[in-house]
Amino acid sequence: MSERIYLSGNEAIAYGLIASGVRFLTGYPGTPSSEILPTAQKLKLRYKFKGFIDWAVNEKVALEMAFSASLCKIKSAVTMKQVGLNVAMDAFVNSAYIGPKAGFVVVVADDPGPYSSQTEQDSRIAAYFAKVPVFDPSSVEEAYHFAKKALELSEEFEIPVLLRTTTALSHGKADISIDNLKIEDQFQPNFKEELKNWEKEVSKLAATPKQRYLLHKALNEKLKAISERNKIRYFYEGDILILSSGMVFSYLRELIEEYNLQQKVTLGKVDIPYPLKKENFSKFKRIITVEETAPVIELFLNTEGRRNGIVPSEGELSPEVCENILAKIGLISEKKTVIIPPLKRPSLCPGCGHRIGLFAVKKVFGKKAIYTGDIGCYTLALNFGVTDTVFCMGAGVSFATGMKKVFDLSGKERMVIGIVGDSTFLHSGIPPLIDAYHYRVPILLIILDNETVGMTGNQKTPAHTKSYEGEPLNSVKIENIVKGIGIEFVKVVDSYEYKKTLAVLKGAKSYLLENKKSAVVILKHPCIYTKEGLEKNPKKPVKIVEEKCTGCKYCIVEFECPALIWDKDKEKVLIDKTLCINCGCCIYVCPKKAIIEVKDGACNTW
Amino acid sequence: MELVILGKGGQGVLFFSKILAQIAIEEGESVKATEIKGMAKKGGVVEVQMKIGEGYSPKIKRGSADLVILLSPDLEAYGKTFGEKIFTFSKEEIEKAFKEVPLRYVNTYLMGIFLAKTGIFDINKALKILDEENQKSLLKGYAYVQSQNGDFTKRRD
Repeated sequence: MSERIYLSGNEAIAYGLIASGVRFLTGYPGTPSSEILPTAQKLKLRYKFKGFIDWAVNEKVALEMAFSASLCKIKSAVTMKQVGLNVAMDAFVNSAYIGPKAGFVVVVADDPGPYSSQTEQDSRIAAYFAKVPVFDPSSVEEAYHFAKKALELSEEFEIPVLLRTTTALSHGKADISIDNLKIEDQFQPNFKEELKNWEKEVSKLAATPKQRYLLHKALNEKLKAISERNKIRYFYEGDILILSSGMVFSYLRELIEEYNLQQKVTLGKVDIPYPLKKENFSKFKRIITVEETAPVIELFLNTEGRRNGIVPSEGELSPEVCENILAKIGLISEKKTVIIPPLKRPSLCPGCGHRIGLFAVKKVFGKKAIYTGDIGCYTLALNFGVTDTVFCMGAGVSFATGMKKVFDLSGKERMVIGIVGDSTFLHSGIPPLIDAYHYRVPILLIILDNETVGMTGNQKTPAHTKSYEGEPLNSVKIENIVKGIGIEFVKVVDSYEYKKTLAVLKGAKSYLLENKKSAVVILKHPCIYTKEGLEKNPKKPVKIVEEKCTGCKYCIVEFECPALIWDKDKEKVLIDKTLCINCGCCIYVCPKKAIIEVKDGACNTW
Repeated sequence: MELVILGKGGQGVLFFSKILAQIAIEEGESVKATEIKGMAKKGGVVEVQMKIGEGYSPKIKRGSADLVILLSPDLEAYGKTFGEKIFTFSKEEIEKAFKEVPLRYVNTYLMGIFLAKTGIFDINKALKILDEENQKSLLKGYAYVQSQNGDFTKRRD
């Protein structure tokens, strides 16, 4: 039995994993992968099967937990974005040598473009590096089926399998046919039964280098067997062969039909880009690979593509880019490039606690201080000059430490302030703070604690006290971690309490200068993008006193709230009431005191 | 049919596109769509590309959309990169929607206007997938256009 439902690629992957029996699923949020795990949680709530489906503190921990579950014969999977796989790489490469005892799938979402990532790296290359087979689905329907196939392949060969998706697929939607999930026979695997006969296998699970050599050899044999049955599927019947995988395949298929190239082109679909077997292509005049974002099939099968400049080496291979590629091959005439007008840059939400908090930081430490930022919504503070570096998760802390050390060595006084969010701090900000403390580096670390993973859609953090199922959880307190390291100056303040925040920051500044030790200020304010956060947020409606506003634009430039807009005719600032959430923070910003609170709810004067 | 729906976060772009997709599915058509949400949430640009009854991928090539639906008029230049034919709601229509129905049903009211003006889908299919309150709101929007036009002949072209 099957039903048709309208799903995103990420949702389809979750359905596929759960339908094939995954009962242990972890991950770390990261666009465009974040919706997979919550979808599986919804299925768990709906079907009430046993298992563990929840976030881990970072991708390495997530992968290790899921892999260890597979060693206990529970089908497992882990989700992350492509840069998250870098964090988990040590565990990932190792997992191929050891091999799971039950199906184990690593789902990684790449971000060609990039739309919301630091790199355009191709996880299919990472799969090759780690010697792990990789599926590359081309549609939402395939995402569902490949999730199942990946698990089956993993079970059969006792090898981890990577399921690679991209932004276009993860966030793409389609009505697809899926098997009805049956609770009674599929959703209650007997944990006790599976675990009863669990035996130690030290030669494998704690392998020495000598045994590792043998494991490597066994892994190579598995890969060879998989490559033997890995067949390219062919569409159309021309004498130019275009090979592709992933969403790009679907764009090419559309273009070939749009331009009636069915007699000129054969389109080869590669479901598993690694491990591939050499095929006989002698009947084709040319062989070209079009794939996102790195040459993988191209290198293995020695074809044209990026090596001769037909395929661009950076950026998403959108339908328009694929059209240009067909023109470069000589199949169609050159197309005019569409000039896309730029959209308004993104900024922090109106009322975001990070904005007023970081405005206070800028007020106390000035523009000369170096602000080493991190990955999260607060990266957008670069719009108003409170973020000078953005690198990778946790680097806000290590960059501050390294840079400050250099300034100290050179004898030049320069304030260096690290900025990191709560979830990012727990993810990978703790180790560099240990070094900052240990080496007595006088940095100030601002930890922005909004009690959620904001940027990726408000996922749970380890500070939460309840799971999605209502189970009690231990709440991790960031200030305890900081104090536990040994840092003496640790202050917590709600960033909405602007004057108090200023006082705390001034205290931190004196402490740094006098004591030459690391200090930490935790600026707390719940994310107003969550329902509870918005409901509990203080309400302080404001208005602009027209006579006082001199049109200096200080609030627009230095505070950058989207609800503060410029009235071109009057040359004064206006409040966009459709965006304003009445947080009242901008009252503290205007140097002319032209923004005032409206008492008695008489805010219709806007 | 290739549609692009553009607006700002909070304007109901996703709701609007979800309803359209459901109507199409109800009509027995396949639907493929992609949602692009900006980093900033409230006020950020939300873009939905949707193919109904055609294609293999959800992405629409610039210049090839049959209709671009703008929920935010300032996105017109951007919207036009997808296709020449633009649909927007007039100021009067939006004001009417806010006046006629409670806030949470404004989008279905506008959907009624959209269906009446474009004739893309059968109104009865739309009614089938909505709850009672939304049905009422949809019909009100639909009726508003008919009352403006006198007779209902203003179809797709």
